[in-house]
Amino acid sequence: MTETARPAALPAFVALLRREFTVELRTKTLITSMGLFAMLCVVIFGLGVKGLALDETFRRFVLAALWVCTWFAAVVGLNRAAAADRNKNFFSALMLLPFDPALVYLVRLASTLVWLVITQALLVLLAVPMLKFDFFSQPLMLAVVLMADVGILALGVLLASATGRLRGGEALLTIALLPVTVPVFLAATGATEALHTGSGAAEAWPYVLLLGVCDAMFLALGLLLFGKLNEG
Amino acid sequence: MTPGTSNAPLITLALSALGLIGVEITLYLSYFYTPVQISAGTLYVVTPDSGSTINLYESYRIFFIHLPAAYTTALCCTLAAVGGIAWLLTRKDAWQALIVSASEVGLATGAIVLLTGTFWADYAWGSGRIGSGWNWEPRLTTMLILWLAFAALLVLRRAMDTDKQRAMMTAVYGILLGPLYPLVSKAIEIGQTSHPRSFSDLLSAPEIATTKQVATIGVMLALVSLVALRYCWNRLGQRMAQERAA
Repeated sequence: MTETARPAALPAFVALLRREFTVELRTKTLITSMGLFAMLCVVIFGLGVKGLALDETFRRFVLAALWVCTWFAAVVGLNRAAAADRNKNFFSALMLLPFDPALVYLVRLASTLVWLVITQALLVLLAVPMLKFDFFSQPLMLAVVLMADVGILALGVLLASATGRLRGGEALLTIALLPVTVPVFLAATGATEALHTGSGAAEAWPYVLLLGVCDAMFLALGLLLFGKLNEG
Repeated sequence: MTPGTSNAPLITLALSALGLIGVEITLYLSYFYTPVQISAGTLYVVTPDSGSTINLYESYRIFFIHLPAAYTTALCCTLAAVGGIAWLLTRKDAWQALIVSASEVGLATGAIVLLTGTFWADYAWGSGRIGSGWNWEPRLTTMLILWLAFAALLVLRRAMDTDKQRAMMTAVYGILLGPLYPLVSKAIEIGQTSHPRSFSDLLSAPEIATTKQVATIGVMLALVSLVALRYCWNRLGQRMAQERAA
């Protein structure tokens, strides 16, 4: 009977997620900071390579540059979200909810994933004219991008919850997140290269598999460790 | 795995003594027992870009340091992950000391692996100039990442505000180090690689095989004794902090 006293998890998940979207739609802090950051990245990279011949090397450079933009845009978003939580002491309130902390983790993961995907759409929109990026030739890239996002954010949300509480935690998140998410980065760039150099899906398959393994492992680690990292 | 508080210094002393002897024997064997001139065909390695082979001459002697240091780095990575899990389960300070000492020694042995690896690669694959052999080969790159992760753990630990947060972060990041080891070990199987897959293919001379085995045990003992030494040191630091707080 005690079970009935406990509120159901799914409505809580939906309510918390709706709260994240409502806050973001009102303040627009995450989308503006991530989007602007991504735009600036494309402009700076574009300026750095302007006038170069549009050959194979250039195309490969653009692909790598876009992954770098994605990674750092994710870090910017995670840091901004953590800073907002810290300012309003909101995070400690979330941890007092009568749910497993994994629920809070999933909500944050889902909302950040949405912002990151929107940022990436913006990135692609800019990179197509500015960096002569040929995105639409490879529909399989959509799956690769989504899987890589989940992998990066799975550990990002976990680590940001701890570094977000510290002064100067922004720089720490960058240092902490890069080494552990490198498997995702390796797999994502490997799959991108295989798809865009025309070697086809067969060549990209091992990398997609590695992405899947990383996603599953990092998600499991995040779900298990989020509560531990933020207890007390 | 964690030595008891009373036994730890004794075990450390024993490991250090054995390690010292092991290193001496390895050094002797690698300079006076292994052949200077190898008969043709036994010490050739394929270059990364083309299929042609190059002669290693005496450069292979660096493997006797490189290999045990790499094994110890792998061991340190595993110890950090095991320590992280064990601390979350038991909350005993000893595991924290183990994670920290494994990361510290991992940082040092990782540096040895990277340096000896690139020295050798400069000689074998590059032009001999510093850095010419660094070719973003998967094993080299993943090892660098593991090294950065050890450094990140120690930096993160220092940055934490309270003891509890510090312990949590250390344990969690220690666990996150775990998946990096299989990545380093599997790196030679993904993509194009120039790292030798197996030394026994390369170094077929029996003297070299024997020295390699002695070096693996001897030098590893010395490096593992460093983990034990740092462990004792960190335990002492923890006890001092406790006494000061009391």
